[in-house]
Amino acid sequence: MSAIATRYEVVVGLEVHAQILTESKMFCGCSTDYLIAPPNANTCPVCLGLPGSLPVINRKAVEATIRTALALNCEIPEFSKFDRKNYFYPDLPKGYQISQYDLPFSRRGYLEFDIKGETRRCGITRVHLEEDTGKLLHAGTIDEAQSSLVNFNRAGVPLMEIVSEPDMRSADEAREYVMRLRAILQYIGVNNGDMESGQLRCDANVSLRPEGATEYGTKVEVKNMNSFRGIHRAIQYEIERQSQVLDTGGKLVQETRGWNDARGLTVSQRTKEFAEDYRYFPEPDLPPLDVSREWVDEIRATLPELPAARRDRFIHAYGLSPYDASLLTSARPMAEYLEDSVRRGAPAKTAANWILGDFSRLLNADHKEIQDSAIEPEHLAQLIQLVDSGAISGKMAKQIFEEMYRAADPGPALEQAKGSSQISGDAELERIANQVIAENEKSVMDFKAGKEQALRFLIGQGMKISKGRANPGRLQEVLASKLVNPR
Amino acid sequence: MRLFQRTIHDLHQMLVDREISSAELTESVLAQIEAVGEKTRAYLLVTRDLALRQAKAADERLKRKRDVAPLTGIPIALKDVLCVKDVTSTAGSKILKGFLPPYSATVVERLEADGAVFLGKTNCDEFAMGSSNENSGYWPVHNPWALDRVPGGSSGGSAAAVASGEAIAALGSDTGGSIRQPAALTGIVGMKPTYGRVSRYGLIAFASSLDQIGPMTRDVVDCAVLLQAVAGHDRRDSTSSQRPVPDYLATLRNGVKGMKLGVPKEYFVAGMEPAVEQSIRDAIGLFEQQGASIEEVSLPHSDVALPAYYIIAPAEASSNLARYDGTRYGFQAGSGRNLIDEYMQTREEGFGAEVKRRIMLGTYALSAGYYDAYYLQAQKVRTLIIEDFKRAFTRVDALLGATSPTVAFPLGAKTQDPVAMYLNDIITIPANLGNVCGVSVPCGLVDGLPIGLQIIAPGFREEVALRVAYAFEAATEFHKAQSPLLGAAA
Amino acid sequence: MPEPNAELSSRQVEHVARLARLGITPDEVDRYRDQLRKILHHIEALNRADTTTVPATAHPLEERNVMRDDVREACLPVEAALENAPSREDSYFKVKAIQE
Repeated sequence: MSAIATRYEVVVGLEVHAQILTESKMFCGCSTDYLIAPPNANTCPVCLGLPGSLPVINRKAVEATIRTALALNCEIPEFSKFDRKNYFYPDLPKGYQISQYDLPFSRRGYLEFDIKGETRRCGITRVHLEEDTGKLLHAGTIDEAQSSLVNFNRAGVPLMEIVSEPDMRSADEAREYVMRLRAILQYIGVNNGDMESGQLRCDANVSLRPEGATEYGTKVEVKNMNSFRGIHRAIQYEIERQSQVLDTGGKLVQETRGWNDARGLTVSQRTKEFAEDYRYFPEPDLPPLDVSREWVDEIRATLPELPAARRDRFIHAYGLSPYDASLLTSARPMAEYLEDSVRRGAPAKTAANWILGDFSRLLNADHKEIQDSAIEPEHLAQLIQLVDSGAISGKMAKQIFEEMYRAADPGPALEQAKGSSQISGDAELERIANQVIAENEKSVMDFKAGKEQALRFLIGQGMKISKGRANPGRLQEVLASKLVNPR
Repeated sequence: MRLFQRTIHDLHQMLVDREISSAELTESVLAQIEAVGEKTRAYLLVTRDLALRQAKAADERLKRKRDVAPLTGIPIALKDVLCVKDVTSTAGSKILKGFLPPYSATVVERLEADGAVFLGKTNCDEFAMGSSNENSGYWPVHNPWALDRVPGGSSGGSAAAVASGEAIAALGSDTGGSIRQPAALTGIVGMKPTYGRVSRYGLIAFASSLDQIGPMTRDVVDCAVLLQAVAGHDRRDSTSSQRPVPDYLATLRNGVKGMKLGVPKEYFVAGMEPAVEQSIRDAIGLFEQQGASIEEVSLPHSDVALPAYYIIAPAEASSNLARYDGTRYGFQAGSGRNLIDEYMQTREEGFGAEVKRRIMLGTYALSAGYYDAYYLQAQKVRTLIIEDFKRAFTRVDALLGATSPTVAFPLGAKTQDPVAMYLNDIITIPANLGNVCGVSVPCGLVDGLPIGLQIIAPGFREEVALRVAYAFEAATEFHKAQSPLLGAAA
Repeated sequence: MPEPNAELSSRQVEHVARLARLGITPDEVDRYRDQLRKILHHIEALNRADTTTVPATAHPLEERNVMRDDVREACLPVEAALENAPSREDSYFKVKAIQE
């Protein structure tokens, strides 16, 4: 890889399609729950493209697009419109897709991400809004099948296209860009980040040029990647394939290639007989949109803290390393988990180590996300407390954590851990109480003078002496009786 | 006078007075369809059972005197471009043969809610593309005034039905003159409302930025009544205006005294038949007698309206008609080697020559390298035409001119020459491009063939056009002339 | 940019027909070419209008920002959605395989 990088400069641009989380479709009231519905059950005259039907814009989808554009630091023009992109394909019911051509909702933004501890900025060309297509089912492979089956449940689901500038220079950068972008989309609640089911899709334009050249090389579009790993592997494969072609004096053709994840290679998707000509023109069925500054401000006000800002806060307020902070803020649920744990008394660094360490390892093995786990921040905070107080060893904690993780309800495992190490016996508690009274003369005096809160301090000292193992309720009783009735 | 010869407002009174029933009335019209349908061929489908069922329901409403609307129990014909739930709707095209829409157009729902009776689907040029009805995918329509002549188009079936007594009134659609021109050629009243006045939801689209549904009736009062029933905002059509709908009958009889009426000099086009020109000049004189002041005005870009229209309409049509690929509905060739081949065969066999011509023209005008020269230039010209009207309407209240430069021409006379056919709409097209409204009213007969006077009013001022039209009608007898098919029955 | 006044060629007619997925026979190519040439010749009149400072009509209506709330409405029953399908399999629309 490094050998290649010294001879050629890699140029990557990404087009990310993200389905917007709405209740109803882009231009009609049909449900967007297309994954669970029976075939063609989520359709109506509009999304089936029946003669005479007309589209009506879903306001929430427009606002989600503008919100995304704002999160990506884009300009929002004051005038926007929809256009028709004309082409024939069986998954496209009207013979055109309602999309945006020359006046999209936004342009000229950027996204920042870290690569080897350095911050990179990638330009965002535009974020525009369109409708998704239906889905084709092929009997057998696309080449052998005699017929295809069409399901229009997905047709008309609102879809954002986020187009980057060709600013990325490696597969690593491309992967990092998509991770960051996905985090932002999830943070602002416009997309669920699910790449496997295609609710977030990524196409890459990859080209090579000799080091120092200013002209771009021949561009190849790579499609069908459905994971971060897939994106990375596909681009890496394409870089190597292209450099081999160039090294052996070959010429690259501008084409679309599909990533085959199982075989680990890209395959040319038959070059089209003649160039597509989409004949874009303004959608006459939809009046244009004036995007007032007041509207933009209203949308801006709904933006939550974005990953970059949260990451900075994690570094400065929690003292986390930039690397950990980046990882933790890459997915909103994970960042929120950390904050919840801290709110429940866990030290941030320790909680971060748990989340990025054992917890992530277990989740990854099961292909699960943190929000899918039964372990709540409260549970994690208590477990950390047990370790910090010395009640259980770190090694034990790891075992207990895994038990908690495997159980449908993590409560019993945690309670057992607490119980097995707890001191409830009167004799031992009395010994601890005596030691506390002996070592904290001033607080004892304060308590006797009527300062109730001094008891709280004394209990804390007792917990410390017992390394957290003392039953706090029982300890309080023993301490109180000793202080009121000194023998 | 037989029932099928009467007007909506006339029949409404008789129905309300229980002098007649809707069932009797409907039978009367159905009998006339039986009698002359083979001569005009105005209908593609007669929904006899549906009509009788609706008539019975209307009679119930009339009997109980509840929910009685001006259209309750009135038999109406619907142009085949309007979707009616579970009733074959084909837009006059073979590619939609047998298509049963699972939903109804908004205008159809509104008429249904008022208790109107649906007689059936009227013939039209395929996808409303034509000026003679000879482009129907099924059969041509014959003019009730002279069966060897065209009724005009594209709403020729609706026009012929009203002119022959095969319907009391009808709905048509007008993209470049498709209501007004056939109304003129068959001696009835036809109005193209302002774009946005009537919902297009459920209207099988030809050109989305120009299409508008409108009434075709025996007189101006009926025209106002039918427009009133269908006009107004519809949340399912984003291009339907939210402006309130005025009461069209309230100002209908206010007369033209003190009004300023403009006569665009460009509307006396080359090739206009002398008898047509004379009728229009006579009509202008009549308005003057009635106390209107007449002023010559100029709409300087009228000469480029036709070329702009023949870019914009086909461009939009080429896209609107892309959905007819034989996958979800309609005709499917079934013999293609693969999918592209299948698409090409389906569309080759399913569409008629004029539709194909316009799809190709529109595809070409939008294709890479030609967009700016054709489509964009046409949209700029459209702006000029809109400004022409705005300027004229700062000086006058309404404009007067002919609807069609000629009377009905013989079947087959222009089928070999697309450009000659396109010239039929030269005076109606500007109103579509200019976002204004227009109505055609009968203003004379030459050799037994009707002539139409076109009255154009500003956008969303239908009441002005109707008021001027009514003043003319009230002072003349032209609208009382009946086609031989209608009159002979008396 | 191609010269709009240039005469439409048969090759262009074939290209446009294919873009529009319209099958046409070799005879028809020439006929459509001649008819379209004649129509285009008439349309050249567009260039008589001076539009150098004229904006294109964005939309015939003055209305802007026509939108609906994100609310679900009833879909068609599956049988109604498929009622008009010329070919179907179970609850799917069926099409010929895509082979270019």
